Amino acid sequence: MPRAKSARRQQIERAVLYPLDWLEERSGLIGGVKYFIFRKVPQDIGWPQTLGSATLTAFIVQAVTGAILAMYYKPHPETAYESIRYITNDLTLGWLVRGMHRWGASVFIILMFFHMARVFLYGAYKYPRELNWIIGVLLLALGMFEGFTGYLLPWDQTSYWASVVGININGTAPFLGPFLAQFLQGGAEIGADTISRFYALHMLLLPGALFALIGLHLYLVIRLGVTSPPWSPEAAGRDRAEVAPTTNGRAGLVRPGSRGGLTRTGVRK
Amino acid sequence: MAVRSPLEQRRAQHQRYKEDVQRTGKPFYPWAMFHDTVMSLVVVSVIVALACIWYFTSGESPGEPGLLGPRFTSEADPGTTSFIPRPDWYFYFLFYLLRIFKWPESVILGTVGIPTILLLLMLALPFLDVRRERRLLRRPVAVVAAILVVLSMGILTYKGATTEESLGGDEALIEEWMEANNLPEEARAGAVLYAETGCQQCHLYLGAGSANLGAPELTAIGAEGGKGVDYFARYIGNPRQFGNTVMPIYGESLSEENLRQMGIFLDASKGPGGGG
Ligand code: HEM
Repeated sequence: MPRAKSARRQQIERAVLYPLDWLEERSGLIGGVKYFIFRKVPQDIGWPQTLGSATLTAFIVQAVTGAILAMYYKPHPETAYESIRYITNDLTLGWLVRGMHRWGASVFIILMFFHMARVFLYGAYKYPRELNWIIGVLLLALGMFEGFTGYLLPWDQTSYWASVVGININGTAPFLGPFLAQFLQGGAEIGADTISRFYALHMLLLPGALFALIGLHLYLVIRLGVTSPPWSPEAAGRDRAEVAPTTNGRAGLVRPGSRGGLTRTGVRK
Repeated sequence: MAVRSPLEQRRAQHQRYKEDVQRTGKPFYPWAMFHDTVMSLVVVSVIVALACIWYFTSGESPGEPGLLGPRFTSEADPGTTSFIPRPDWYFYFLFYLLRIFKWPESVILGTVGIPTILLLLMLALPFLDVRRERRLLRRPVAVVAAILVVLSMGILTYKGATTEESLGGDEALIEEWMEANNLPEEARAGAVLYAETGCQQCHLYLGAGSANLGAPELTAIGAEGGKGVDYFARYIGNPRQFGNTVMPIYGESLSEENLRQMGIFLDASKGPGGGG
C-alpha cells in the first residue's frame, strides 16, 4: 500500500508541495524553518527554559495591543487624556486592549527578570554565550525605558507627575544629564513636544530596537544551543572524568574528537 | 593528559556540548515546543485576567480604584501641585533610592551612580566570571552576590511601594503646621502657598510630603542661620543660581510678593520647639 499511492493523492501532494518547493528553491526559508523546528536540544531542558519564549510572547502581546491602541490614541496634551478615556470606557473591547497593554508591560518586565535569573542560576552567560547575555542586558534596559516612555502617554496626573520626576532624575546626571533631560522634555515645559517625543520613542524607536535585538538574541540561541541544567547528570558537554568516573580506565581518551568510549554507559544506562 | 589553556578547555567543552546534543538530544518539536506553547498560553491568560480584574473592579470616573488601581486618574494639570508622583512598580527601587541620598552631595549616587554601576556590572558579568564552573554550590561569590542584589532590590521596591505619602493642601494641615512649628501669623500666606505649589512633591515638612531627588526636609530650614527671608525668596525664584538644577524655577510662575511670602514662611520654620 505505501508504495502504490493513488494518482489523485500524488496530485494533491504535488499541489501542496509545489509552493513550498518554489519558496525553498528561491529563498532556502523552508529549510531554515525545518532546521529550527527539528533541531536537537539537550534532553534535560524543561520548564525553566520556557521563560525566554514566554517573554517573547509577552512582547508580541505588547506589539499587537500597542498597534491597536495607536489607531485610537491621539498624542497631544489636549486630546491624549480624552482618547484614553474613550478607549477605556466607550470603545468596544477597548478596555481589554488597553488593559492587556498596561498589564502586559508589567508581565513582560517580570518575565525578563525571571528569564535573566534562570540564565544566571544556570551559568548560561558563560562561554560562548557572553554576547547573548550582553544583548539580554540591553533588552532589559530598553524594556524598562519603553515602560518609562509609555507611562506618560495617558496624560493623567499619575503619569504626568511621574514623568516630571523621571525627567528631573535624568537632569541630575553629570555632564550629559541636562542634555538628556532637555531632549526628553522637548521644550521649555512638559507639554505637546514631550508627548510627541515620548510617543515616537515608545512606538517607533524603542520597539524597533527591541525587535532587532530580540532577533539577534534568538539567532544566537539557535546557533549556540540552550545550556543543560548544570547539575543534571546528563548535562550536555559535561566533564566526563568528573561526573562519570571511568569504568574502564579510558579517562585519558576523553577529549574533543575522540568521543564514544565514556559516554553514558557510566552514568545511567 | 596534556594541560590545556582555559580557553582551549572552554572550546573543548562547547565542542562536547554540540556532540552530546547531536547524540542524545531531543528534537525541539514536539517536546520543547509543547512546553513553550503551554507557557505562552499561561502568559496570555494571566495578562487577560489582570486586564479583566483591573477593568471590572474599577469605576468609570477618574481615580475610582479597583483591586488593581484606577483606570486613570484625573487629567494632567501642570498647575496643580499637590499630586505625589509615583512611577510604575519596576522603578520603585530607584524612587526609594532617591530618599536615601541627600541633596546635593550624594543624590547623584542614588539617581545615576548606582543604576549605572549596576548596569555596567551586569554587562561585565560574563567577563568577570570566566570559570567554566556552572554548578551553584561551586559559585559561592556569584550566589551571594545574586542573593544580595535580589534582597536589596526587593526591600527597596517594597519600601518604595509602601512609603506613606501624606499630602494635602487643606486647612487642617496648615493649622497643624502653625501650631507645631510655632509659626507667626504673617507666615500663614506662605504656608498656604507652600502647600499649594507642589513643594511637597519633593520636600518633607513636619512629616508630610515626599523626599524625592534628595530634596532636604524643610521643617527647620529657618533655623540654619545666615539665610533669611530674602535668601529664600531668591532661591525659590531661581534655584539655578544656587547650583540646584532640579527644582523648578518658581520665579516663572509666582509673583515677587508670593516668593516673599514663601520666604517668610521658610524663615519662620525653625522646627518644633525651635522657638519661633
Ligand atoms: C525581550 C526580552 C528577551 C527575550 C524575548 C528573550 C528570549 C530568549 C529565548 C527564547 C531564549 C532561549 C532559551 C530560554 O528560553 O531560556 C533565550 C536565551 C538566553 N537569554 Fe534571553 N530573552 C530576553 C531577555 C534576556 C535578558 C534580559 C537576558 C540577560 C540579561 C537574556 C539572556 C539570555 C541568555 C544568556 C540566553 C542563553 C541561555 C542558554 O543558553 O541557556 N535574555 N532568550
